[in-house]
Amino acid sequence: MKSVDAGRRSALRALASGAIGVATSSTIAPWVESLSALSRQQAHAHAAESAIAAQDWTPRVLSARQNEMVITLSELIIPETTTPGAKATLVNRFIDTVLDSAPAKDRDSFLAGLTWMDARSKTLFGKDLLAASGAEQTALLTRLSRDLPAQDAADSQGVEFFKALKAMTINGYYTTEVGLMKELGDDGVLAQAEFKGCDHPEHQ
Amino acid sequence: MQIISPAKVYPVIVIGSGASGGMAAWNLTRKGIDVLLLDAGDKFDRSKFWTHVRPWQAREREGRGEKAPQFFLDRKEQPYLTADDRPFELTRVWGHGGKTNVWGRVSLRYSQMDLKAAERDGWEIPWPIAYSDIAPYYDQVEQMIGVCGGTDDSDALPGSKFLQPPPAPRCGERLLQRGMTKLGIPVVAGRRANMTRPTRGFPPCHYCGNCGAGCDTASFFCSADHLLPFALETGRLEIRSNAVVARILTGKDGLASGVQYFERQSGAERQVLGKVIVLGASCVDSTRILLNSKSERHPNGLGNGSDVVGRYLCEQIRLNVTGYFPVLVGTPTRNDRGIGGEHIYMPRFNHRPGRGRDYLRGFGAQFWNTGASIYGAHGGSEQIPGFGAALKEEIKRRHPAWFEFHPFGEVLPYAHNRITVDPARVDRYGVPLPKIDYRIGENERKMTEHMADTVEEVVKASGGVLVGYTRAQLDAMGSAIHEHGTCRMGDDPKRSALDKFNQMHEAKNVLVVDGSAFPNASEKNPTLTILALSMRATDHLAEEIKRGNL
Repeated sequence: MKSVDAGRRSALRALASGAIGVATSSTIAPWVESLSALSRQQAHAHAAESAIAAQDWTPRVLSARQNEMVITLSELIIPETTTPGAKATLVNRFIDTVLDSAPAKDRDSFLAGLTWMDARSKTLFGKDLLAASGAEQTALLTRLSRDLPAQDAADSQGVEFFKALKAMTINGYYTTEVGLMKELGDDGVLAQAEFKGCDHPEHQ
Repeated sequence: MQIISPAKVYPVIVIGSGASGGMAAWNLTRKGIDVLLLDAGDKFDRSKFWTHVRPWQAREREGRGEKAPQFFLDRKEQPYLTADDRPFELTRVWGHGGKTNVWGRVSLRYSQMDLKAAERDGWEIPWPIAYSDIAPYYDQVEQMIGVCGGTDDSDALPGSKFLQPPPAPRCGERLLQRGMTKLGIPVVAGRRANMTRPTRGFPPCHYCGNCGAGCDTASFFCSADHLLPFALETGRLEIRSNAVVARILTGKDGLASGVQYFERQSGAERQVLGKVIVLGASCVDSTRILLNSKSERHPNGLGNGSDVVGRYLCEQIRLNVTGYFPVLVGTPTRNDRGIGGEHIYMPRFNHRPGRGRDYLRGFGAQFWNTGASIYGAHGGSEQIPGFGAALKEEIKRRHPAWFEFHPFGEVLPYAHNRITVDPARVDRYGVPLPKIDYRIGENERKMTEHMADTVEEVVKASGGVLVGYTRAQLDAMGSAIHEHGTCRMGDDPKRSALDKFNQMHEAKNVLVVDGSAFPNASEKNPTLTILALSMRATDHLAEEIKRGNL
């Protein structure tokens, strides 16, 4: 108590009414943060609206071609390994539902990002994204997966787009049964008589 | 105006059924006093909670048109106003049990240091009660609701006598404990209202970890399970649901005579008469009701001749920091569900010799989301560079290794931080909306720096790595959901609205028993203190009624 009291007078003098703002990261475009956050919320707060697993599923936002692009790109981000990847777990459908409930301007930014991917692919490889080889698609994503600011200014929009798509893919994939239980190892045990805590002998 | 049962005058009308109102109703009815309880919402159906619904199942259910219980009041139904450049996030739950349906459950006693902070540092007014006044009520509340925790009392965190055994820490929490211990920073077992032993007929926690969806076995304290049914059993409680209280009515003598409310769906206006009104609608809503209860005797709102009602709104500042422990990367994923939140707590330490800085009051820290997430990949996974199989592998390896660090700090009570009502802006019933004007100042800025330094030191000493870290980035104002101060207790009627038994100085038959009664916030979660304070106030109220004083 003494230590607080020692500074009491000067602290009282210093108590100004000036507000301090809440800092926000200046490096992330608002729409990227918005879609990332929405995908977290959609995955966790039960807000998805369409039946993702339906046989006769059709996208609400994405065109057939855009849907194919999202399938390809999300599978490049979380591919099939010893466990299924984004494609088999229908992450594209999750992304479509997120876009469906997103503010129009964020949705448009995402769709513009898909258009940009095609254009960039044409510039780099002479063909659109879906026509590019796996190696070419990977090369393009590698350019975009470095942190902002983009090393090549021409990639700025793509870097933002990639960040949004990656967040949405992660939040979609790891909230599936495959992603959370098979891949991450969640045991699914929802009732126990006792909670044992950390069992690492070196961390007791 | 249509008057329902004009002949009936209730001995006590309680407004709100959460921690404060639920406790008031329970305590008064068990003492033989008839109570009418008004709640703005309905009963939530426990059998329909989505406690054990996994994320993918939730999406399937949503796809079938099912809905999880809608606990949170939609701002579109009941708006509130803020200054454009000063947002405030207000979380309201209308329905039996209020926010205790989904609360964080952290249950920390206020210490003498918290209650007498203002005596020591001169900032605003101290509580009119001492720790010894409220301690017996903490004892009763803890035994009743079942709080787990350690036997690690200190001057900052007293009173572990009745705690149930705490759950063992997770690995990441052990590492944080070690780091804090190395630095001489106190760390104790978390204290939470999750029962770890059967309590009053309720089964203990089953460690599913999803408390935020509401508990399907009522194994953490919720007023709707642990108070209201027992009050109903006395036969002395009448609950009126979907009664949105607008005003407290007063007579020519300035005392309360009843309550005006609107039926939530139909919008029909109703009035009920009562001899005593106990207000426990939560800080902002109770304050709104008082400010809207204007009359000739109370032109500035009920009991507000002092102009303190609505002022001194104090919430808390908070950092949300994420990181991981490299030594846990690649270890097998454990079941880290536990009691939902963290199993450790960092109590305030800046009052200790050599630990102080040039600001008033203090902060503590919580660590929820430490360990393997049950909701998916931890949010920090988005920050892992790259893509493809390597990214997938790293997300998996890091899954058991995440930790979070959440310091909570006291925001001083400032007269300019206030709730007002705007007669020009009304809700669907024509009742003026609350407007929240809130900002923090230099004291909080300095405290934030100390919080950030502490986070960085502890993480370093624990061997952790920060991810996506922006130093001193505060969470949105209001997001701790710990509003206090706008109808504060005190000995001086010129500087406070309530006396030491929560009765209004200017209308003795009105009591306010929720967080608005706190003269200051402290760094602690308030619900345990709200319960103890409401029990104490209604003990006194029952005696006054029996003596014929009310």
